[in-house]
Amino acid sequence: MTDEALTFQYATAEQQRETVTLGMWAFLATEVLFFGALIAAYFNYRIWFGAEFIAAARMTKVVFGTINTAVLLTSSACMAMAVGSFESGRRRGPVLWLTATALLGLAFIGIKSVEYYLEYQEHLVPALNFDVHQHGGIAEIFFIFYFCATGLHALHLLIGICLVSWLAIWIGTGRIDRSGSTTRLIGLYWHFVDIVWIFLFPLIYLAGRSG
Amino acid sequence: MSGRGILRCWGALMLLLALTTGLAFVPLGPAQLGVSLAIACTKALLVLLLFMELKASSGLVRVFAAAGFFWLLIMIGLTSADYTHRTDQRVPVDTVR
Repeated sequence: MTDEALTFQYATAEQQRETVTLGMWAFLATEVLFFGALIAAYFNYRIWFGAEFIAAARMTKVVFGTINTAVLLTSSACMAMAVGSFESGRRRGPVLWLTATALLGLAFIGIKSVEYYLEYQEHLVPALNFDVHQHGGIAEIFFIFYFCATGLHALHLLIGICLVSWLAIWIGTGRIDRSGSTTRLIGLYWHFVDIVWIFLFPLIYLAGRSG
Repeated sequence: MSGRGILRCWGALMLLLALTTGLAFVPLGPAQLGVSLAIACTKALLVLLLFMELKASSGLVRVFAAAGFFWLLIMIGLTSADYTHRTDQRVPVDTVR
Protein backbone atom coordinates (compact mmCIF):
# COMPACT_ATOMS: atom_id res chain seq x y z
CA MET A 1 0.00 0.00 0.00
CA THR A 2 0.91 3.64 -0.15
CA ASP A 3 1.74 3.58 3.50
CA GLU A 4 4.94 1.70 3.19
CA ALA A 5 8.10 3.73 3.28
CA LEU A 6 9.67 4.84 -0.01
CA THR A 7 9.31 2.06 -2.60
CA PHE A 8 12.04 1.30 -5.12
CA GLN A 9 10.64 3.07 -8.17
CA TYR A 10 10.63 6.51 -6.55
CA ALA A 11 13.56 8.86 -6.08
CA THR A 12 12.07 10.86 -3.24
CA ALA A 13 9.16 10.67 -0.79
CA GLU A 14 7.76 13.84 -2.36
CA GLN A 15 7.70 12.15 -5.80
CA GLN A 16 5.91 9.12 -4.34
CA ARG A 17 3.39 11.39 -2.65
CA GLU A 18 2.64 13.30 -5.84
CA THR A 19 2.35 10.09 -7.88
CA VAL A 20 -0.22 8.47 -5.59
CA THR A 21 -2.16 11.75 -5.50
CA LEU A 22 -2.21 11.84 -9.31
CA GLY A 23 -3.44 8.24 -9.37
CA MET A 24 -6.29 9.12 -7.04
CA TRP A 25 -7.27 12.11 -9.18
CA ALA A 26 -7.23 9.95 -12.30
CA PHE A 27 -9.68 7.60 -10.55
CA LEU A 28 -11.81 10.54 -9.41
CA ALA A 29 -11.92 11.86 -13.01
CA THR A 30 -13.55 8.57 -14.06
CA GLU A 31 -16.02 9.03 -11.20
CA VAL A 32 -16.76 12.58 -12.37
CA LEU A 33 -17.72 11.17 -15.76
CA PHE A 34 -19.70 8.32 -14.18
CA PHE A 35 -21.95 10.68 -12.21
CA GLY A 36 -21.66 13.25 -15.00
CA ALA A 37 -23.43 10.93 -17.44
CA LEU A 38 -26.39 10.80 -15.04
CA ILE A 39 -26.41 14.58 -14.72
CA ALA A 40 -26.22 14.95 -18.52
CA ALA A 41 -29.30 12.69 -18.72
CA TYR A 42 -31.03 14.97 -16.22
CA PHE A 43 -30.36 18.04 -18.38
CA ASN A 44 -31.64 16.26 -21.47
CA TYR A 45 -34.86 15.21 -19.71
CA ARG A 46 -35.25 18.73 -18.40
CA ILE A 47 -34.86 20.28 -21.86
CA TRP A 48 -37.03 17.61 -23.46
CA PHE A 49 -39.91 17.40 -20.95
CA GLY A 50 -39.69 20.96 -19.58
CA ALA A 51 -42.25 22.09 -17.00
CA GLU A 52 -43.71 18.62 -16.33
CA PHE A 53 -40.27 17.24 -15.42
CA ILE A 54 -39.51 20.21 -13.16
CA ALA A 55 -42.94 19.88 -11.51
CA ALA A 56 -42.08 16.29 -10.55
CA ALA A 57 -39.02 17.58 -8.69
CA ARG A 58 -41.38 19.43 -6.34
CA MET A 59 -42.53 16.07 -4.95
CA THR A 60 -39.10 15.48 -3.36
CA LYS A 61 -38.66 16.29 0.32
CA VAL A 62 -36.74 19.57 0.36
CA VAL A 63 -36.39 19.73 4.17
CA PHE A 64 -34.76 16.29 4.28
CA GLY A 65 -32.54 17.21 1.33
CA THR A 66 -31.36 20.45 2.89
CA ILE A 67 -30.61 18.85 6.27
CA ASN A 68 -28.73 16.06 4.50
CA THR A 69 -26.65 18.58 2.54
CA ALA A 70 -25.68 20.30 5.79
CA VAL A 71 -24.82 16.89 7.33
CA LEU A 72 -22.61 15.94 4.40
CA LEU A 73 -20.82 19.30 4.21
CA THR A 74 -20.12 19.04 7.95
CA SER A 75 -18.78 15.51 7.51
CA SER A 76 -16.36 16.84 4.89
CA ALA A 77 -15.14 19.50 7.32
CA CYS A 78 -14.56 16.72 9.90
CA MET A 79 -12.66 14.70 7.28
CA ALA A 80 -10.44 17.73 6.53
CA MET A 81 -9.83 18.10 10.28
CA ALA A 82 -8.89 14.40 10.48
CA VAL A 83 -6.33 14.73 7.66
CA GLY A 84 -4.85 17.92 9.16
CA SER A 85 -4.67 16.35 12.61
CA PHE A 86 -3.10 13.14 11.23
CA GLU A 87 -0.44 14.99 9.27
CA SER A 88 0.55 17.03 12.29
CA GLY A 89 1.44 13.71 13.96
CA ARG A 90 -1.40 13.14 16.43
CA ARG A 91 -3.16 9.81 16.99
CA ARG A 92 -6.26 10.51 19.12
CA GLY A 93 -7.30 13.58 17.10
CA PRO A 94 -7.66 11.87 13.72
CA VAL A 95 -9.48 8.87 15.27
CA LEU A 96 -12.07 11.19 16.84
CA TRP A 97 -12.53 13.26 13.68
CA LEU A 98 -12.81 10.14 11.53
CA THR A 99 -15.42 8.71 13.91
CA ALA A 100 -17.40 11.95 13.61
CA THR A 101 -17.09 11.75 9.81
CA ALA A 102 -18.37 8.15 9.69
CA LEU A 103 -21.24 8.94 12.10
CA LEU A 104 -22.34 11.92 10.00
CA GLY A 105 -22.18 9.67 6.93
CA LEU A 106 -24.43 7.16 8.72
CA ALA A 107 -26.79 10.00 9.71
CA PHE A 108 -27.04 10.94 6.03
CA ILE A 109 -27.92 7.34 5.10
CA GLY A 110 -30.48 7.21 7.94
CA ILE A 111 -32.23 10.40 6.80
CA LYS A 112 -32.16 9.19 3.20
CA SER A 113 -33.76 5.90 4.24
CA VAL A 114 -36.64 7.72 5.94
CA GLU A 115 -37.06 9.76 2.77
CA TYR A 116 -37.13 6.60 0.62
CA TYR A 117 -39.70 5.09 2.97
CA LEU A 118 -41.97 8.16 2.70
CA GLU A 119 -41.64 8.05 -1.08
CA TYR A 120 -42.58 4.38 -1.03
CA GLN A 121 -45.70 5.26 0.94
CA GLU A 122 -46.57 7.94 -1.61
CA HIS A 123 -46.28 5.41 -4.45
CA LEU A 124 -43.32 7.20 -6.00
CA VAL A 125 -40.93 4.26 -6.46
CA PRO A 126 -40.68 3.21 -10.14
CA ALA A 127 -40.72 -0.56 -10.79
CA LEU A 128 -42.02 -1.15 -7.27
CA ASN A 129 -45.21 0.79 -6.76
CA PHE A 130 -45.18 3.95 -8.91
CA ASP A 131 -48.74 5.25 -9.36
CA VAL A 132 -48.60 6.48 -12.94
CA HIS A 133 -52.28 7.48 -13.01
CA GLN A 134 -51.83 9.77 -10.04
CA HIS A 135 -48.39 11.24 -10.81
CA GLY A 136 -48.00 10.88 -14.60
CA GLY A 137 -45.41 9.25 -16.85
CA ILE A 138 -42.93 12.11 -16.86
CA ALA A 139 -42.87 12.17 -13.08
CA GLU A 140 -41.95 8.48 -13.29
CA ILE A 141 -38.97 9.36 -15.51
CA PHE A 142 -37.90 11.97 -12.95
CA PHE A 143 -38.12 9.44 -10.14
CA ILE A 144 -36.14 6.86 -12.10
CA PHE A 145 -33.40 9.48 -12.34
CA TYR A 146 -33.87 10.37 -8.68
CA PHE A 147 -33.48 6.81 -7.41
CA CYS A 148 -30.54 6.00 -9.73
CA ALA A 149 -28.64 9.17 -8.79
CA THR A 150 -29.30 9.17 -5.04
CA GLY A 151 -28.94 5.38 -4.83
CA LEU A 152 -25.53 5.38 -6.53
CA HIS A 153 -24.49 8.30 -4.37
CA ALA A 154 -25.59 6.44 -1.21
CA LEU A 155 -23.62 3.38 -2.37
CA HIS A 156 -20.49 5.55 -2.75
CA LEU A 157 -21.12 7.00 0.68
CA LEU A 158 -21.45 3.51 2.21
CA ILE A 159 -18.08 2.55 0.68
CA GLY A 160 -16.69 5.79 2.13
CA ILE A 161 -18.07 4.98 5.60
CA CYS A 162 -16.38 1.53 5.46
CA LEU A 163 -13.05 3.07 4.39
CA VAL A 164 -13.19 5.79 7.06
CA SER A 165 -14.08 3.26 9.83
CA TRP A 166 -11.25 0.98 8.74
CA LEU A 167 -8.85 3.94 8.69
CA ALA A 168 -9.90 5.05 12.20
CA ILE A 169 -9.18 1.56 13.55
CA TRP A 170 -5.81 1.37 11.80
CA ILE A 171 -4.70 4.81 13.00
CA GLY A 172 -5.97 4.01 16.51
CA THR A 173 -3.93 0.80 16.67
CA GLY A 174 -0.86 2.47 15.17
CA ARG A 175 -0.74 0.42 12.00
CA ILE A 176 -0.50 3.40 9.63
CA ASP A 177 2.79 5.00 8.66
CA ARG A 178 2.84 8.71 9.49
CA SER A 179 4.45 9.63 6.17
CA GLY A 180 1.93 7.62 4.13
CA SER A 181 -0.82 8.98 1.88
CA THR A 182 -3.73 6.63 2.74
CA THR A 183 -5.46 9.11 5.04
CA ARG A 184 -5.21 11.94 2.51
CA LEU A 185 -6.44 9.74 -0.36
CA ILE A 186 -9.47 8.46 1.56
CA GLY A 187 -10.13 12.13 2.40
CA LEU A 188 -10.11 12.98 -1.33
CA TYR A 189 -12.65 10.22 -1.98
CA TRP A 190 -14.91 11.45 0.81
CA HIS A 191 -14.82 15.05 -0.43
CA PHE A 192 -15.57 13.86 -3.96
CA VAL A 193 -18.76 12.10 -2.79
CA ASP A 194 -19.65 15.40 -1.09
CA ILE A 195 -19.16 17.31 -4.38
CA VAL A 196 -21.50 14.90 -6.21
CA TRP A 197 -24.18 15.71 -3.65
CA ILE A 198 -23.50 19.47 -3.94
CA PHE A 199 -24.65 19.20 -7.58
CA LEU A 200 -27.46 16.67 -7.06
CA PHE A 201 -29.04 18.81 -4.33
CA PRO A 202 -30.11 21.84 -6.45
CA LEU A 203 -31.04 19.68 -9.45
CA ILE A 204 -33.27 17.32 -7.46
CA TYR A 205 -34.58 19.28 -4.50
CA LEU A 206 -34.54 22.94 -5.54
CA ALA A 207 -35.92 22.67 -9.09
CA GLY A 208 -39.36 24.22 -9.52
CA ARG A 209 -39.79 25.37 -5.91
CA SER A 210 -40.86 28.91 -6.78
CA GLY A 211 -43.25 27.92 -9.56
CA MET B 1 -4.98 23.12 6.21
CA SER B 2 -5.33 24.79 9.60
CA GLY B 3 -8.30 24.10 11.85
CA ARG B 4 -9.36 27.72 11.64
CA GLY B 5 -9.24 27.63 7.82
CA ILE B 6 -11.42 24.50 7.77
CA LEU B 7 -13.93 26.15 10.11
CA ARG B 8 -14.10 29.26 7.89
CA CYS B 9 -14.61 27.13 4.79
CA TRP B 10 -17.36 25.14 6.55
CA GLY B 11 -19.06 28.42 7.56
CA ALA B 12 -18.95 29.66 3.96
CA LEU B 13 -20.42 26.36 2.72
CA MET B 14 -23.28 26.59 5.23
CA LEU B 15 -24.02 30.21 4.22
CA LEU B 16 -24.09 29.20 0.55
CA LEU B 17 -26.41 26.30 1.36
CA ALA B 18 -28.80 28.70 3.14
CA LEU B 19 -28.54 31.14 0.23
CA THR B 20 -29.29 28.57 -2.49
CA THR B 21 -32.20 27.05 -0.53
CA GLY B 22 -33.67 30.51 0.14
CA LEU B 23 -33.27 31.66 -3.46
CA ALA B 24 -35.01 28.50 -4.71
CA PHE B 25 -38.29 29.85 -3.29
CA VAL B 26 -37.86 33.28 -4.93
CA PRO B 27 -39.46 33.44 -8.39
CA LEU B 28 -36.45 34.06 -10.64
CA GLY B 29 -37.94 32.52 -13.77
CA PRO B 30 -35.52 30.88 -16.19
CA ALA B 31 -32.54 32.26 -14.24
CA GLN B 32 -33.33 29.80 -11.42
CA LEU B 33 -31.26 26.93 -12.81
CA GLY B 34 -28.29 29.19 -13.58
CA VAL B 35 -28.32 30.74 -10.10
CA SER B 36 -28.54 27.41 -8.28
CA LEU B 37 -25.80 25.89 -10.47
CA ALA B 38 -23.54 28.93 -9.96
CA ILE B 39 -23.88 28.53 -6.18
CA ALA B 40 -23.25 24.78 -6.49
CA CYS B 41 -20.07 25.49 -8.51
CA THR B 42 -18.88 27.94 -5.84
CA LYS B 43 -19.45 25.33 -3.12
CA ALA B 44 -17.66 22.67 -5.19
CA LEU B 45 -14.72 25.02 -5.80
CA LEU B 46 -14.39 25.67 -2.06
CA VAL B 47 -14.28 21.92 -1.41
CA LEU B 48 -11.87 21.28 -4.32
CA LEU B 49 -9.44 24.10 -3.51
CA LEU B 50 -9.44 23.94 0.30
CA PHE B 51 -10.64 20.53 1.57
CA MET B 52 -9.07 18.65 -1.34
CA GLU B 53 -6.00 20.90 -1.12
CA LEU B 54 -5.81 21.75 -4.82
CA LYS B 55 -4.87 25.31 -3.86
CA ALA B 56 -1.64 24.00 -2.36
CA SER B 57 -1.05 21.31 -5.02
CA SER B 58 1.32 21.30 -7.98
CA GLY B 59 0.16 22.30 -11.46
CA LEU B 60 0.23 18.67 -12.61
CA VAL B 61 -2.21 17.55 -9.89
CA ARG B 62 -4.50 20.48 -10.70
CA VAL B 63 -4.51 19.57 -14.41
CA PHE B 64 -5.47 15.98 -13.51
CA ALA B 65 -8.27 17.27 -11.30
CA ALA B 66 -9.53 19.67 -13.98
CA ALA B 67 -9.44 17.05 -16.77
CA GLY B 68 -12.49 15.11 -15.56
CA PHE B 69 -14.60 18.25 -15.26
CA PHE B 70 -13.39 19.48 -18.66
CA TRP B 71 -14.54 16.28 -20.40
CA LEU B 72 -17.79 16.47 -18.46
CA LEU B 73 -18.42 19.96 -19.86
CA ILE B 74 -17.92 18.62 -23.38
CA MET B 75 -20.33 15.72 -22.74
CA ILE B 76 -23.06 17.87 -21.18
CA GLY B 77 -22.50 20.77 -23.60
CA LEU B 78 -22.79 18.70 -26.78
CA THR B 79 -25.71 16.52 -25.68
CA SER B 80 -27.64 19.55 -24.39
CA ALA B 81 -26.97 21.40 -27.65
CA ASP B 82 -28.46 18.43 -29.50
CA TYR B 83 -31.59 18.20 -27.38
CA THR B 84 -32.09 21.99 -27.31
CA HIS B 85 -32.15 22.20 -31.10
CA ARG B 86 -34.31 19.20 -31.96
CA THR B 87 -37.44 20.30 -33.78
CA ASP B 88 -39.26 16.99 -34.13
CA GLN B 89 -42.22 16.28 -31.90
CA ARG B 90 -41.48 14.19 -28.83
CA VAL B 91 -43.62 11.14 -28.28
CA PRO B 92 -46.01 11.86 -25.39
CA VAL B 93 -44.98 9.39 -22.70
CA ASP B 94 -48.44 9.05 -21.20
CA THR B 95 -50.08 8.01 -24.46
CA VAL B 96 -47.59 5.23 -25.27
CA ARG B 97 -48.48 3.10 -22.29
